Amino acid sequence: MELFLNRISDGLSNGATYALIAMALVMIFKATTLINFAQGEFAMFGGFIALVLATEQGIPMWGAVFGSMVITAVCAAGIERTLIRPFDPSDHLPLVIITLGLFLGINALAGIIWRFDPRAFPELFPSGNALTYGTATLSWYTVGTLVTIAVVSGGLTLLLNKTKIGLAFRAVSSNLESSELVGIKVGPTLQFGWAIAAAVGTLGVCVFVASPFRQLEPNVMVTGLIFAVSAAALGGLDSLGGAIVGGLAIGLVQSIAVPYLGIPSELSLLAAVVVLMLVLLFKPSGLFGTPQVERV
Amino acid sequence: MSDTNTPSDTTTPTDLVLDVKGLEGGYGQIQVLHGLDFHVADGEIVVILGANGAGKTTTLRAVSGMIPRTGSVKLRGDDISNAKAPDLVRQGVAHVPQGRGTLPELSVEDNLRVGAYIRDDNEIDADIDQWFDVYPVLRERKNQRAGSLSGGEQQMLAVSRALMSRPSLLLLDEPSLGLAPIIVAELFERFAEINKETGTTMLVVEQNAQLALGIGDRGYVLESGEIFTEGPADELINDDAIRKAYLGV
Amino acid sequence: MATKSPKFLFTQGTNRYRAYKFAGFALLTLLILIVAFAYNDTGSITLFDNDYKFSITRVTKSISFMVAILGLQVVAGFTGQLSLGQGFFFGTGAYVSAYLVADQDWAWFTSLLVVIPVCFLIGLLFGIPALRIKGLYLALVTLGMAAVFPSLIKLDFLLDYTGGAAGKQVDSDFIPPSWLPLDGIVDALHTIPLIGQYFGEGEGLSSKEEQRVWTFFLMTILALICFKVVSNLIKSRPGRAMRAIRDNETSAAVNGMSLAFHKTMSFGVASALGGVGGMIYVAELGIASEGDFTQLISILFVVGMVVGGVGTLSGAVLGGLVIAFIPDWASSTQNLPGVPERWLQGPTGGLILGVGLIVVTFVLPGGIIAGVRKIRGRIVQVLPETPALMPGVAGAAPLEPVSAQVSGGLDGGPTTADDD
Repeated sequence: MELFLNRISDGLSNGATYALIAMALVMIFKATTLINFAQGEFAMFGGFIALVLATEQGIPMWGAVFGSMVITAVCAAGIERTLIRPFDPSDHLPLVIITLGLFLGINALAGIIWRFDPRAFPELFPSGNALTYGTATLSWYTVGTLVTIAVVSGGLTLLLNKTKIGLAFRAVSSNLESSELVGIKVGPTLQFGWAIAAAVGTLGVCVFVASPFRQLEPNVMVTGLIFAVSAAALGGLDSLGGAIVGGLAIGLVQSIAVPYLGIPSELSLLAAVVVLMLVLLFKPSGLFGTPQVERV
Repeated sequence: MSDTNTPSDTTTPTDLVLDVKGLEGGYGQIQVLHGLDFHVADGEIVVILGANGAGKTTTLRAVSGMIPRTGSVKLRGDDISNAKAPDLVRQGVAHVPQGRGTLPELSVEDNLRVGAYIRDDNEIDADIDQWFDVYPVLRERKNQRAGSLSGGEQQMLAVSRALMSRPSLLLLDEPSLGLAPIIVAELFERFAEINKETGTTMLVVEQNAQLALGIGDRGYVLESGEIFTEGPADELINDDAIRKAYLGV
Repeated sequence: MATKSPKFLFTQGTNRYRAYKFAGFALLTLLILIVAFAYNDTGSITLFDNDYKFSITRVTKSISFMVAILGLQVVAGFTGQLSLGQGFFFGTGAYVSAYLVADQDWAWFTSLLVVIPVCFLIGLLFGIPALRIKGLYLALVTLGMAAVFPSLIKLDFLLDYTGGAAGKQVDSDFIPPSWLPLDGIVDALHTIPLIGQYFGEGEGLSSKEEQRVWTFFLMTILALICFKVVSNLIKSRPGRAMRAIRDNETSAAVNGMSLAFHKTMSFGVASALGGVGGMIYVAELGIASEGDFTQLISILFVVGMVVGGVGTLSGAVLGGLVIAFIPDWASSTQNLPGVPERWLQGPTGGLILGVGLIVVTFVLPGGIIAGVRKIRGRIVQVLPETPALMPGVAGAAPLEPVSAQVSGGLDGGPTTADDD
């Protein structure tokens, strides 16, 4: 029983990262129906920037994380303006190629700048356990990740529903032509989407590697992206709430199904891919997405 | 085709909210409009009629800058021939596209709010309330997803949204399309009321000639991208040729 | 549209044209010979203190990539289904052939008798969900498949077959037949004035060198066969159906082409080619290890296809060369004037390819091949054979070389069989 609880705790904290990266993917998908294949790499790069800010500039850890979120947001906005905007938004394929190029390039750049040795990432949450029940523990880390999701979710909800730019973003996600007709400038609105997505992604990676069991290195998000994509698809590619549910679900599947169904841990990635395939085959709008998500 | 100039419009250029000359435009290689001249004076309701494919919707889209076009388009004397869609609303032109163009995932209230996007005064909430007064159905459904509204309700929403920007010129693209006759009749009554009460100038593109001419001051009839005839609404409605072709009489 | 009249004008079907084509083939053969013998691990070029080694093994590696990219061209370039999972089949081919050769004592080429059908079938199976999952979503799912491959290799119950994380070593070399006068050819090449000296030092070839050259020849022939097969496929009815599907699925279906058949077939063919590429790779390298078959190689294949030229055969050749050599050259470049050494270490090749991919999409969407064709179009132009019905119309309006665009549906330019 206690082992089971520990597994749930692990699953939730892993799932929290997938949820955050999934939310980033959903932000961009909502506005453009594009999946940013480089999202994980943006986030990883942001993680490194946070590390650099903390270790080389001596900024306290959370400050470094926020600083990095701002920096990655600005960079992502720049990337949208220069590399994405020139293309017709309804034509996906050149944009897929561009994001693949970014994936390769950013991954390589991180490898060149910071090499591939894993680095310890300072802790963001108090160490130790919040609750203990026999040998089952609920670490502050897990609590911290869940609180982070709640805060991000709340923040995004406020941002999208109570601000003018949030309204513009939702409008553009809903009907591009009508948005232009009411005077919304689509380009800067999309930039805003990319910026927020990058910031959320960065936070996701920082939270992920702040665990005492994990370290930061350039390939940290290469398979993580697949989990995040499955999570986003499961939840519904245009649903931020769905991304959270999907992320936590995938995290739990990983930590529970794997040991209990005797699936070798090697195959948790396969499980995620199978989930992705099943969702896309049978319910492309996922659990909470709007049914027109199938905009092939 | 020749246009029949009627001497009844004695408007001077400064009264013209919209003055279009030699408008040409189309989609890629297909040119739909072949040099249109028309104008809308302050406070008027002008109607553009024509059969399917005559180029009515294209005309509005061209005026709105949604498709590439050539020719001169002047808004109250200012040349807007090169303006793009998002800028036009800042100049006081609101366009209700064909099919309503509601933002389906947003709530009814958000749809109205986004209509006021270009405004930053503090009367937006008051305006929203006012439109809820005009169309109480919208108030009932104000938190519902706009996509769940019926066609007629969406049309009311679309028009209110357009008017939230307090435009001086309202472009309406086939408002009756897909709606039941009773709803359409009410809709058009409201348009006439809005025009009378707020003085909003309107350019309405319609297939339903009867209704449109019923509220219009003047009309143009479009055929194959050219103006076939024009004149005051009551003359057009009594014109035999028009009646045969468009009113099925 | 060529504004100057081209220097050479050929009309298809004439003898002059045939001579032109023959000259092209002859040049190609000569090039292959030169590459084979000159690139024999005997030297390097030194630029700015960097040592760029020549090695025919690298060329053979690039051939394996060319065949894999060729497969990708079939499913993506010609049928319009972007697959980020070609690495899965590359790896499958590698492991299957490694197992058969190492553990079952088969010959490499005999292993193809298993590799090709197995990969083809897995590809067909894969093509079935691909009927419902399209475009971006297909790319996502195939990326997932590519990512999963290393984990599958490391599964416990497959350990005996795959060698797990340590990899599967294969010690089987290609021994050239004794009747082949390789030494004699090398001696003959040495006598060529000026460039003779580049064909290796000393008399004849060591046995290792001979093996490498022989491997290279065999693989080149295998690759040529693959390219010829695809070239015929493209020009055949199924091939035209595939291209019709790429350009507009709805109208293709309306015209009576079976979407399901052609789409799954294209996956099958692409996967089979991927498998063949994998076999070439492991035959050359001598070991199959899972680290070589991650998402990265799948993405690199796409890079190669796009940079070379989507929907073209010669684009696959160029693409294979690009992804084999650029990372190689980039890592050999440790010294550049003005650049601190620190920045030249690490995966510079990956950075160049990533940036290159983006640049190509902006500047040359049809890939390098499109650029080459444009230039060639100014010098040489080929007119189609005029039908017998219109005797007086010889030399009508010249054909414009159509540049391929990387855009919706992965449009490719017309494929011509005169390359490779």
